[in-house]
Formats: sequence, structure tokens, C-alpha cells
Amino acid sequence: MDPLFALRDITKSYDDSTVLDIPHLIIQQGGIYGIMGPNGAGKSTLLSILAFLLPPTSGTIYWEGVDVDTRDKHQLRKKVTLIIQNPYLFHTTVEKNVVYGLKVRGITKAKRAAKAQACLTMVGLSGFEKRMAYELSGGETQRVAIARALALDPQVLLLDEPTANVDRHGVEQLEGILRKLNEELQITVIVATHDINQAYRLTNEVIYLFDGKIARSPMENLFKGHIVKKDKDLFLFDTGRIQIALIPERDHVSHIAIPPQDIIVSIEPIATSARNSFVGKISQVTDEGEAVSLLVDIGERLKVRITKRSLQEMRLTLGSPVYVTFKSSSVEAF
Amino acid sequence: MEYLWGGIREAVILIISLDAEVFRTVLLSLRISLIATLFASIVGIPLGFLISTHAFPLKRSVITFFNTLLSLPTVVVGLFLYSLLSKKGPFGPLGLLFTPTAMVIGQFILATPIIVALTISAIQAMDPRAKMTAMTLGAGAVRTALTVLSEARFALTAAVIAGFGRVIAEVGTAMMVGGNIKGYTRIMTTAIALETAKGEFAFALSLGFILLAVAFAINILFHYFQAKRG
Repeated sequence: MDPLFALRDITKSYDDSTVLDIPHLIIQQGGIYGIMGPNGAGKSTLLSILAFLLPPTSGTIYWEGVDVDTRDKHQLRKKVTLIIQNPYLFHTTVEKNVVYGLKVRGITKAKRAAKAQACLTMVGLSGFEKRMAYELSGGETQRVAIARALALDPQVLLLDEPTANVDRHGVEQLEGILRKLNEELQITVIVATHDINQAYRLTNEVIYLFDGKIARSPMENLFKGHIVKKDKDLFLFDTGRIQIALIPERDHVSHIAIPPQDIIVSIEPIATSARNSFVGKISQVTDEGEAVSLLVDIGERLKVRITKRSLQEMRLTLGSPVYVTFKSSSVEAF
Repeated sequence: MEYLWGGIREAVILIISLDAEVFRTVLLSLRISLIATLFASIVGIPLGFLISTHAFPLKRSVITFFNTLLSLPTVVVGLFLYSLLSKKGPFGPLGLLFTPTAMVIGQFILATPIIVALTISAIQAMDPRAKMTAMTLGAGAVRTALTVLSEARFALTAAVIAGFGRVIAEVGTAMMVGGNIKGYTRIMTTAIALETAKGEFAFALSLGFILLAVAFAINILFHYFQAKRG
């Protein structure tokens, strides 16, 4: 079966700056995808392109195997619904908001009312039909926006930072709703978020964006700097405070990232083939549920993720001196 | 002082007793201004919407032009219209001079720039998400435009009220192209000017009170809708 979306050599530029540059991306039907990245990474731009609201500057998008340039954009837009960050509700009742898209499509009043009720029930807002949109909380607004999108029976739901203005309880509710839509209605869900935990909790696959490009992993331990030494099989990257060895993959490198789970923590220096080993002190310990994240000051503050058991076995506390070791191949350069 | 109090007393009596002459004048005033405002809205709202939502050369100059027209002197509009409608003017044969129609045209010219300028600022102040949301829900260009206008309805109502407020209170145009003919083109403002000159102080004052009341009502409504847009 052809994938739902296939992007080939997609770029989006404004004037001289390129905000998105994606050589290749596949989105399969029926999945839940996360798009992660810091502010300005191009998440919203990618969503707008996937929603057919923004044409790419160059490249080709295939929808179910067919080049979208050969298809009617207006028809395609009906299959994909984007819920923007801080969704806008029209200044009227909840029900009129939900049925807006149906009215546009000329659906009869009776059918509209039935659909509104079904969609509001789906997002847990049954009985809210006659409420005015401006009376709702952030979480309720988000759910009405989802119900409004659902009313159109979309194949794909795109959400831009859906939990940005929602309290903790609302976040759980929303994530439950998105899972339900995916499982029960087989809607493909694509969520842009900068909450790494949400991305892992909710999605089957996470697409990391950094500076408009797809990156291999989430951007943690992100450092800016430049290459100071180029050998055939090894580069040395200088952050201004420390020097880190990495595998040469590209000529020009301005940033590196080191995944916290790829870093080994020990109380003694260890003999390994890993090219990067530093000694430092623990400056912060954060409970992350099953794991614990440590900030180790090695000149730069390095985030490291270990299990609670390791923490107890090594008797690590704030200020403990530790060694951190990671392979040059763990370092992502771009 | 006795002169002033006497005038006020008589004016109140004229209003309370629903004096036919007073009310005929008031109703004619309202009718002419409402019709003029209606036409000005039909032209001004779409025009303001198109100007604010489209990019075209000299857009800023066009907006400045409409803002300048806000302070168009009513007498100048009257003079301009008089020259067009008078017997020797290009539209003389239509016989419109000194008719209510001429007054409606004059007030239309005065009200339209206000409605255009306030519509432009209302649409520019609109949340851009309104348009985007309508589009993502599958609305075409016309439906999207109607939705944006509907979302701006309070600000647009305020624009229409401001237009009406300008024309109900103006005297220059009505006097010059209406001619202040009793029972035909005599409205509140022109009647006040004439009756005061004649020494019919009480009659002028009674119309003055009513005009003030209308102006107050307009201001209250204007601020009500201005506040609601937020």
C-alpha cells in the first residue's frame, strides 16, 4: 500500500532563508506521529505543508502515491484537518463551531445537529452544545476544535502544540482522546510538540526537526561551536569550553547533540573504545519517573539519563564527582 | 434668564404633547439619515473589506485618502453636490436639487468614508486565525470572507453607527442641497438653524433636545459595540 504522505526534497524558503529542508519523509496511514523540535525548528511550517495550506518552495508531495500537484487542493484539504496552536473558535455557540465545516459542505440541519452531538461526545463535551465559545477553558477550547475537525471525518488530524495552554488534567484527557480517535476511527494523528515525554507517551514514531532539517534524535545536550581539528576518521568539535570527538559525516558542522541515554556514568574512569570521556560533578538530579536525569558539569552542563537503581548503587548525590563517557558515533552533528 | 427658562419650558411642552411639526421634522431626519447610512454601509463595508484584505499598489495612500475624507467639511460636500445637481449642472435635468433624494446623496457621501475607514481598521484588527480556521474547515473564498465579516460584526456595527452619527448631526449639506423646505426637506438640524434665526427659540430648543438625545443614544450604542468587539 502506498504511504499516506511521501515527501521528496521538500524545501520552504522565505526570501533568502530556508525554513524547511526535508529530503525524504514517509507518513503511514493509521499511525500517531510526533514532530518534535525547539521553537522555530519548522514544526508549524511542516504541518501547514502537510495540511495543503502552504505550498512548498520546491519538491514533491505524494498523497497515497499520487503527486499532489496533479490533484485538486481543495478536495485534499477536506481529508486533512489542521488544528492550529491556540485554536480559534468563532464567537458563537459550541455547536455552531462544530458544524461550521458541515454547513460549508451543504449538509442538512438535522444531520449537522446529530453529527455535532456525536463529535462532542467523542471529546467528552456532551451537553456543551449551547455554551458560548468564549466561556470555555483552554482544554475545552482545544477539545471543541478537535470535535469541529472530527465532524468532517478527516483521514488525518494535524495538531500544533495541542497542550500548550492546557492544565495537567486536561493534557491527560486530550492525549486519551487522540489515542481513541486513532484506535477507534483509524485517524492518522500527527502532533507537533516540544514536550519530549508527550512525544514518547503518545506517538509510535517521532520526527525530530532542528533548524528546518530532520535530525536523528531529540536535540538534547545541544552545543554550538565549530570543528577545530579534522582527521580522516575523526573530527574534534570545540564548544568554547570543551572539545568533543565525533565521526566526520559532513563538512560543515555548527551544532552537535548528544543523546542523554548514550552517555555512561561511572565513579571510576573506565577503559573503553569510546573517544569521549570527561570528569565532572553532579549539579542537578531530577526524578523522571522510572529514570533519573542528572546534570553533570564537565565545563558544559551535560544531561545524562540513568536508572534509579544505578543512582542508588553508585550512591550518587549532588556534588558527587563522576566520569561520563560516550562514543564519537553517538554525537550527532549538523 | 427668564427668556431661557421660558424657552426650555415651552420646548418640553412641545415634546410631551407630541407636537406634529416637531415630530414630522424628527421622523424626516431619521428617515433620510437611515437611508443614507444603509446605502453607505452597502458600499462601505465591502469596499473597506476589499481594501484591507487585498494587496495592491498605493494601498497605504488609498487608506490615507479615506481617513482624510473623515474630516470632509459638510458645506464643501453640499457645494460640490449643488454644482452637480443645479439646473445648469450635469445632473440638473434629473430635478433632484432641493429634494430628500439630494439630501440622501449628500449624507451618503459623508457617511461612506467613515464606514470604509472604520471597516478597514476593524478587519485589520481581526484575529488572523479567524480566516485561517475558516479555510482549514473547507470554506471557499466567499464563505471565508463572510465568516471574517461575521466575526467582526460588533466592530462593523460600531462603524455603521459612527456613520449614522455623522450624518444625523450634519447641517451644511442638508441645507445646501435640501433647501430647508418646510414639510419636505426640513430636518432637525436645518430647522434649528432657521427657527433660531427667526426667534422661534422654543421650537428650536425642543428639536435640539431630541437631537441631543439621539446623539447620546448613538454614542452609548457605539461604545457598547466597540467594547463588545474585544
